[in-house]
Amino acid sequence: MTINAGAPLRAEQVAVALGGRTILRDCSFAIAPGEFVGIIGPNGAGKSTLMRGLRGLLPLTEGKVEVFGEPIHAMGDKQAARLVAYMQQDVNVGFGYTALEVVLAGRYPYLDWWRNETDADREIARRYMRFTGVEELADKPVNQVSGGERQRILLAKALAQETPLIFLDEPTASLDLVYQEEIFRHCQTVCAHGKSVLLIAHDLKQAAKFCSRLILVAGGGILADGMPEEVVTPENLDQAYGLHSAVFQNQVTGNLDIHTFVGCERQGKANRIHVIGGGGAVGPILRNLYERDYHVSAGVLQDGDTDADVAAAFGIVYVPARAFTAIDEKQAEAHRRLLETADWVILGNVFLGQQNLDNLKAAFLARRLIVVEDSPITDRDCSDGEATRLYGELLQKTRARVVDQETLLREMAADKLFR
Amino acid sequence: MANRKRNKGLFFLLLIGLLLGATLLSLGAGQVKISAGAMLAVLAKLAGLPAEWLGTAPTPEQIAVIQHIRLPRTIVGLLVGAALAVSGAVMQGVFGNPLADPGMIGISAGASLGAVIAVSLGLTAVSLYYMPFFALIGALAAVAATVALAMRDGKIPVMPLLLAGVAVSMFVGAVTSGMLTFMNEYRLREFLFWMVGGLDYRRWEHVGLAVGPVLTGIVILCALARHLNILAMGEQEARAVGMPVVRFRLVLLFIAAVTTATAVCVSGSIGFVGLVVPHVLRLLLGPEHRVLLPACALAGAIFLVPCDTLGRVLIPPAEIRVGIITALTGAPYFLYLLRRAQKAGGAL
Repeated sequence: MTINAGAPLRAEQVAVALGGRTILRDCSFAIAPGEFVGIIGPNGAGKSTLMRGLRGLLPLTEGKVEVFGEPIHAMGDKQAARLVAYMQQDVNVGFGYTALEVVLAGRYPYLDWWRNETDADREIARRYMRFTGVEELADKPVNQVSGGERQRILLAKALAQETPLIFLDEPTASLDLVYQEEIFRHCQTVCAHGKSVLLIAHDLKQAAKFCSRLILVAGGGILADGMPEEVVTPENLDQAYGLHSAVFQNQVTGNLDIHTFVGCERQGKANRIHVIGGGGAVGPILRNLYERDYHVSAGVLQDGDTDADVAAAFGIVYVPARAFTAIDEKQAEAHRRLLETADWVILGNVFLGQQNLDNLKAAFLARRLIVVEDSPITDRDCSDGEATRLYGELLQKTRARVVDQETLLREMAADKLFR
Repeated sequence: MANRKRNKGLFFLLLIGLLLGATLLSLGAGQVKISAGAMLAVLAKLAGLPAEWLGTAPTPEQIAVIQHIRLPRTIVGLLVGAALAVSGAVMQGVFGNPLADPGMIGISAGASLGAVIAVSLGLTAVSLYYMPFFALIGALAAVAATVALAMRDGKIPVMPLLLAGVAVSMFVGAVTSGMLTFMNEYRLREFLFWMVGGLDYRRWEHVGLAVGPVLTGIVILCALARHLNILAMGEQEARAVGMPVVRFRLVLLFIAAVTTATAVCVSGSIGFVGLVVPHVLRLLLGPEHRVLLPACALAGAIFLVPCDTLGRVLIPPAEIRVGIITALTGAPYFLYLLRRAQKAGGAL
């Protein structure tokens, strides 16, 4: 991100304090026109305090904030309000003001003190109410509308200020999912028109989905700043939230997805577990192994298989193969290398045909083998009996333990599996 | 929209009609019976208009009663009612708190003390305007003390404001009572005047004292009504749209204090007008102050003058002071509001 003098917003070495205690320091970044920036971070990290400081409503203890090259703390109140709109958290509109009256307040910075709002101001107010879908509430008192309606009215008010910069402090807090997404979409539209939006979000997934850029605030400063996939990483989340997580692209939605779990210390002696999967048979096994902090490998998994997606999501090493083609020599060799060095091998409840029969052959090399069987092999044999024959031979030769998946996972949870 | 505007226009016509009615009722009621025709004849005569066509020629006694007793008293009543109601609405907006009221947050008590100090120092003999000046200083000091006691982190929560107001009012009231007790010209009526408030024995000089500051104050406050709207939506919101909140709060509070202090000088402290009238009108008209404040000016007068009339005719020849009547009607209403505020979790 290049920092140029005329940027809509530019923070330099900003430090803010609350009640004499420095909350954040060394915050530097610039926002370009059309950017939709989400501020994320744990509760109490100082997101709102930072936003108040950026808006000039809170004195900075260090650094400076410039809006289009001018320091905001030196600006007149109305001038600042013509450049930055600020929708705050938990706004309580008392006295029964109507939606239109509240939105019209957004025109305040444009009026001389002796002037009343003109018809043009009223038209502007109504236009933004139409945009956020609350025009029919114009004459309704704001303290009588629903939470979603109130937030959309307040958004219309911020927009009615017609500022190039818009700050929103958790505009989606305590809203239904539909309303949350709606607010984010309105912001995207606004940004498409060249305005810049800075939004504090508490939902990481939504922030990653809608924002063009994220700033992660934690530990008294900015921890990460960049594209959503650069910021939302397991390392950052661990550092900011103390959260064990896996971040991956959800194959169904195409969005960045976060899987979180409670971290735990591994008890067993086993170090590396190799899982033979395919056809979505071992997803839960892979996930549980990963969450319990085992070193996991997998193979051979075909592209587009959900087992391959799970492995990719958790950063598990696996041997990939093209869909609908038989495992070739190179893959077979790579697979055997992974498998032979593993302390334990788990063969999932997979369907076996000519394409993946090599997976079954490789299982003969396992040091210690566990075979998951939820349905008889004959039901899963797509190779005219060859798989059934090999399977029987495998069980006989290796004297592998045969369990159903439920038992396997239960024993794994109780640290009794790899004994 | 157009319909609502017409409704508001009709409402204002109704208020003006009620105001005329209340005025005439006040002029006509009392120990000396004056018929409607005679009263109109007196008013026409005082205004220099021909009165013969009305048929009834007023007696000199009737003329004297209206000209020197009832007319100034009624006009003072109108001014005080308007001043208190508008000031009340403004303070509620400034504090973002529908329970704020000149009597409730110490302004009236402070103004009384200031006025009594001016009287006790003999300054009222030097110039009539010492009294409102001292009253204003007292009012400002009292409200400053109340706000300073109630303020937490730049916010003024409801309950602390009310409690601080009660404490300041009691304290200042005690000082006022003490001073009155030791004053040479101490009389029971004087004491009652400052403690309960009343309109008895108000003369044209009181009208002259109050008319300028009260009308000017009301006009300025109405002119700043749009800013009051923004302020009443909440301090943080007001700052976000670029309002210099502190400056406007101080200006609005100062003018409201001047208006109230002037009213206190001519009527003593009359409670609850500034609480009840704005609240009822907000229910009828909404919180838009550009409509609310002018309506409060009219309705405050409409409320106070009949209260005074009632006090005069209820148990003749004795009079019930208007401060007692307003407290008797206003205090239950205040308690009802307080109860409702508590049920709604503090938000009214």
